[in-house]
Amino acid sequence: MQNTIQPLTMRLGKREVDIFPYWMGLLVVGILFGLVGAYQVFAYGLQVTGLSNQVPWGLWISIDLSAIALGGSAFTFGVIVYLFKIKRMEIVGKLSVVLGFLGYSTAGMVLLFDLGQPLRFWHPIVFWQPHSLLWEITMCVVLYLTVLMAELLPIVLEHPIFSTHPWLDRFPILRKLSSSLIWLAHRLHGWAPAFALLGMTLSLLHQASLGATYSVLSGRGLWFNQSAPVQFVFSAMGGGTSLLFFLSVVVFRIMRPGLVKDEVLYDVARIAGAIVLLCIYMRVWDWAVTNYYSFDIEVALQTEMLNSVTPYSSTFWIGQVLFALIPGLMLIMAKRIRNFRILMSVAILPAICTVLVRWNYNFSGLIASITYDPYTPTVVLNSYAPTWQEWAIASLVISYWLIGFSLAARFLPFHSAEHGHSEK
Amino acid sequence: MSEKSQTPNPTEDKASRRDFLKITGAMAGAAALAGIANQGLQNVKASHGEGGEHRWGMVIDIDLCIGCNYCTYACQAVNNLSDDMRYNIVTTETLENGDEYFLSRPCMQCDDPPCVHVCPVNATYVRDDGITTMDYDLCIGCRYCEIACPYDVRVFNWRDHTELSPRVPAFGTPEVPPRPRGVMEKCTFCQHRIDPGLERGLVPGVDDAATPACVVACPTGARIFGNLNDPESPASKSLEANKTPIRLREELSTAPKVYYLPPKSKTQSAAEEG
Repeated sequence: MQNTIQPLTMRLGKREVDIFPYWMGLLVVGILFGLVGAYQVFAYGLQVTGLSNQVPWGLWISIDLSAIALGGSAFTFGVIVYLFKIKRMEIVGKLSVVLGFLGYSTAGMVLLFDLGQPLRFWHPIVFWQPHSLLWEITMCVVLYLTVLMAELLPIVLEHPIFSTHPWLDRFPILRKLSSSLIWLAHRLHGWAPAFALLGMTLSLLHQASLGATYSVLSGRGLWFNQSAPVQFVFSAMGGGTSLLFFLSVVVFRIMRPGLVKDEVLYDVARIAGAIVLLCIYMRVWDWAVTNYYSFDIEVALQTEMLNSVTPYSSTFWIGQVLFALIPGLMLIMAKRIRNFRILMSVAILPAICTVLVRWNYNFSGLIASITYDPYTPTVVLNSYAPTWQEWAIASLVISYWLIGFSLAARFLPFHSAEHGHSEK
Repeated sequence: MSEKSQTPNPTEDKASRRDFLKITGAMAGAAALAGIANQGLQNVKASHGEGGEHRWGMVIDIDLCIGCNYCTYACQAVNNLSDDMRYNIVTTETLENGDEYFLSRPCMQCDDPPCVHVCPVNATYVRDDGITTMDYDLCIGCRYCEIACPYDVRVFNWRDHTELSPRVPAFGTPEVPPRPRGVMEKCTFCQHRIDPGLERGLVPGVDDAATPACVVACPTGARIFGNLNDPESPASKSLEANKTPIRLREELSTAPKVYYLPPKSKTQSAAEEG
């Protein structure tokens, strides 16, 4: 049953070189650069960022929203595998749990930097304010990260190192530790359907609330939008599943040939395509009624300005519509296209689209703010440019995500579902 | 499923009792949650100060404002603010006919403040007398309140407080301790003057020592402060005398307690039209 893992190689002259060490080296450089920025942020506070009182949320919040959105495949596939009981998706579902955990832990890390008082990050858990969307999101993310850990542990412990490493015999304490962990993992795996249900509930709650975070703000242009919560949920599912398809092809088809049937991968693509199309359908309706919601003269002015002056309009039409519509149509026809190169190159677009939705949401309402003149209201454009410290933190968390994914792709067996079940 | 429920079940009695316990438990849980939610709502709703003894409000006469920024400077001195932090902002705006005027903008002290609804840790709250204030020990610095404020009057403390405001001593001396780096700050209607002033029997709005620093500093008397629940307070009298006070962005239903008396040309043209 043991599948061999084929490392990704690159042809250099006549030699086939395993790129893994070089890739990891590059990511470690990214981490080190990030740590310099992290020191600056913690030592000098948020004054080292390009944020201002007019644009208080910037690059980091966009990364945070995107990381959570791209982790959206975890709950989608939790439901598909454990509640709909589509067992052929189980191995892909394991990869989605890895992506979910990485996405949410990345979001947690970047939020820690974004807080003015990072040491008070635990306050929402103790000092409840159930009317705040941000409080609800914090609680959901903390709980969901716990659920993801419980789902991830059995997957990580499938690695043979935890049962066959020679040190386990040399140091009995290690053997005891690993066998008790494996026992715990089996118990947790038995609870998988419950975790899938809990994960779905928590995900729907906070993915929607992330949209509502903006859409309850009646005083800002574009944001006061009743469909934002639904859009956030579906774009997270669509973008997350597209990314999952892309990475599944890398991890299963290229690195573990034969582990997952091509038909299953096509099905993942079709699921992604269907959700992406559903999402764009709602997005276009939402665009059509945006001005309808803008009952407020100042909000309407802001919307008009954003559409005419800023890149909002082009990122909307190219990034949010085109990048979703064409890939959606192609992914849903995956079984007819049957070409993984083409499918992979279009599957990355909905993921970019999901990031752009977050980016647009976060910035648009902030960079166009109004003067408070009650007689002749006008819109002023604020500016924001991230400083190198902000890019450093971005590099830190993205490198963390990539290291986590690369390690999982390289070392996790993913295959021993049968093995785990037969042992019971 | 339906077949199963039709077959006689010897443990039905037991099962229904268990179900009853489950439902009761769920209801108790829901009630507890509702209680928590209600409590949160009351933080906002029950504390307008409408029925209470005090409900502090401010009236700003646009015609009297000369844009000298003394209110901003006094606020910076008294609240111990660095030069780039302003609780109060004075801008130059225009009327429809092109005439310019000065708009002085403190915290609007809304009855229904968006910033209070969004704070994830209850760090900002409405006091019984209607003042929206901060608990700087709770604030985590997420800046959601700043995003939510439709008047752009919340300011973040970007750096450590190391030096005195350049407005000290010309416009006053610091009366409150400096806040830590990384918390949100806001105008509190100088609650540190109102509360001790009331204890000493002073009347905020009348006695300078109990009145917000910006009101005291205003050289033209454009700012009037007082208890809106007391018809004899300067603010109430001013509102009574001027039938057409306005509030900023009233369509957002935030119900500010800072009123503006519109420019005379504005009220005259309205009267002519009317």
